[in-house]
Amino acid sequence: MSNIFHDIARCFSAAGRVYGRELRNIFHDPGVMLFFFFLPLAYPVIYSLIYDPELVRDVPVVVVDADRTSLSREFTRRFNATEGAQVIGYAPTLAEAKRAVDSKEAFAVLEIPKGFERRIGRNEQSPVALYCEMSLLLRYRALLFSMTDLQMSMGAELMASDIASLGVESIASAADPMPVEGIQLGNLQSGFDSFIMPGVLILILQQSIILAVGMLGGAKHEDPALVGYDPINRSFSTAVDMLAKAGAYITLLILPLIWLIHFVPLIFDFPMAGNALEIFIFLLPMILASICVGYVVQAFCSERESIFVIWVATSVAFLFLSGLTWPRYALTPVWRILSDLIPATWGLNGFILMNSNGSTLADVSEQWHNLWILLAFYAVVAWAVQRFIIRRATPCGIKKK
Amino acid sequence: MSSFLKIAFSSLEQIAARPLFWTGMIIMPVLFIFFLTDEMKEGLPEKAPAGILDKDHTSLSRKVTRNLAGMQLVEITRESDSFTQAMNDVKSGRTYGFFLIPENYQADLLAGRSPVVTFYTNMTYFVPGTLLYKNFKTTAVYTKAGTITNLVQSATGAGAEQVTPVINPINVVAHPTGNPWLNYSYYLNPGFTAGVLELMIFLMTAYTICEEIKRGTSRSLLEQASGSIIKAVTARLLPQTIIWCVMAMAMESWLFAWNHYPMNGSWLWLTVSTLLFVPACQGFALFVCCVIPNLRFALSICALTGVLAFSLAAFSFPVQSMYGSIGIFSWILPVRIYFLIYIDQALDGIALYYSRFYYAAYFIFILLPLTMMWRLKRHYATPVYLP
Repeated sequence: MSNIFHDIARCFSAAGRVYGRELRNIFHDPGVMLFFFFLPLAYPVIYSLIYDPELVRDVPVVVVDADRTSLSREFTRRFNATEGAQVIGYAPTLAEAKRAVDSKEAFAVLEIPKGFERRIGRNEQSPVALYCEMSLLLRYRALLFSMTDLQMSMGAELMASDIASLGVESIASAADPMPVEGIQLGNLQSGFDSFIMPGVLILILQQSIILAVGMLGGAKHEDPALVGYDPINRSFSTAVDMLAKAGAYITLLILPLIWLIHFVPLIFDFPMAGNALEIFIFLLPMILASICVGYVVQAFCSERESIFVIWVATSVAFLFLSGLTWPRYALTPVWRILSDLIPATWGLNGFILMNSNGSTLADVSEQWHNLWILLAFYAVVAWAVQRFIIRRATPCGIKKK
Repeated sequence: MSSFLKIAFSSLEQIAARPLFWTGMIIMPVLFIFFLTDEMKEGLPEKAPAGILDKDHTSLSRKVTRNLAGMQLVEITRESDSFTQAMNDVKSGRTYGFFLIPENYQADLLAGRSPVVTFYTNMTYFVPGTLLYKNFKTTAVYTKAGTITNLVQSATGAGAEQVTPVINPINVVAHPTGNPWLNYSYYLNPGFTAGVLELMIFLMTAYTICEEIKRGTSRSLLEQASGSIIKAVTARLLPQTIIWCVMAMAMESWLFAWNHYPMNGSWLWLTVSTLLFVPACQGFALFVCCVIPNLRFALSICALTGVLAFSLAAFSFPVQSMYGSIGIFSWILPVRIYFLIYIDQALDGIALYYSRFYYAAYFIFILLPLTMMWRLKRHYATPVYLP
């Protein structure tokens, strides 16, 4: 019996030593500190500021009004009053209007053909054309949403008077025979910042962890004289080592995590419908899985800076694979499997549902369970990598150049 | 062999010999460019999972359901019995929204009691949310129009051709010029693939230049170039410039020739832009190295700007809508210039006159490092590595 207790005690003291040494290493390495603190603290702020205006408003539009009647002017005025469009002026011809678009003074042309009012007066359908410059989808979306609203509201008014003229008083008087109501959930104003940032926060969390752990792995291979700390790693066992280091990383991550999950959404007015404690519980397996991915990536880091080259660009791919910008149901099977293997995919989807839609941990249990499965998978791979690959290459932690 | 060629050849040897170089310069860009284009090859994501909550269960309500199910971009995956169930599907991410048909819908409609049809879309997911919103709304509006047509026709005896213009008196025809398919990849991919290339050029250039200082080999490099920092750096980077240009041309051909991205302008000017884009990116990274001749800091700055570029270069959210003090930074990114030229010369195909300043901007990026080269020279002569 005493033997077991003795072993446990040794194990704990070894873990304590590794924990302390890892913390010391991190604090002595400005590069790693940058990933642990600067990245999660500053990056979300810069990012959120870029998208902070949230909506695309008042896209400049040039009007070519060949009708020049009170109704066409009314139409233009009301288009100008919508959120999406701003009429910056009239052009006599389409060619003239195109010149304004080409020189980026306007991004769309509204063409009202001759006979616009007369056709409506004759109970005919009256066409109007909206030419949009298509460099950005959000501009087109803003214009189209505004135009559709205007078309429907003005159409309804004209319709009411027209139906009355056909002699059906009862329907004309019932303002709307079938009201339609569209309710937007989660991101209530459908703002761009509130849509993309909560997901990006989780991606930043995962990437800072992997970058930091990867850089620490690279530092182990370097000349101690160059890096400034003792990389020799005589430890109790690989598993205890990994756990103790993970403990050190989590200790350091507590502050950045609170900042990312609570304060950034608070400052930038993102939806915050979730329960903070549940969110932390939800993210725990993702953080651990990211640390394990970091342990695996260490195999490819032969020096401190290699992590930049092999890992920074993955952020873009992970963003697209996560389902945030391009939905997961539209991914081909191969990419879907790859997407399944990224901790941030599940972390991000669960987090935004909790944060924006007010889902509980029970609602996102599928994502949570997948995170635990990923954690188990990466823990095993990481153990094998740490035990067999990294040790073999560097018998006492130093690679001679 | 001249010393310039000697340095260039040893630089080439290094690229071939060290996995980090060929991974960063060839494998990663190829992989990412293929991934981005392949992922979005559908153009628009079809079949967004959605729910239907039919509380009426009449022939009219089932017709609405059928209409919805027939839409290309929507797939009705869940039929719920209660509001709570439908909402839970949204909250757990199984659906992106649902369409609610109220009780007594058919009866109320025919009796003129104005039943309210409601649809819920989860805007937490922007793209599926927006697509569902659009499709739900269209379905609702068509259903409404059909109903009114029927009512008016049966009340007045007027023919359909008389009633239709009354229902929708103003017909707005939207012309999305240049991208009438609303293909998503045409918006994002030229910018994003160039962004990936820019990021990798930034990183590899900073790595190459500052690693000399870290390893202490910068002094011998400088001696080899007989003390000229410009000669040393140019010779060191030239082989990379050639490889990057090949990569950039491959990217251009892959997008515009192989995948038929919109090409309404001049191949010549797009190619000129592609070829100037490479040295412009190298110039930017070299400038960073001159200002901060420290491997880690230079790489960090390059990584930071390279990744921020994906947002700041405004491939999705327009610079005109950003705060002025933020939007102005989009001009420090070569990829922004590349993107603007792509819009002008490929997507919209307008006269070169409108893009003249963008081409000039490339040259500013290329010449920028010359202003700070003296600083790099000082650090090359006395290399000190700080971790």
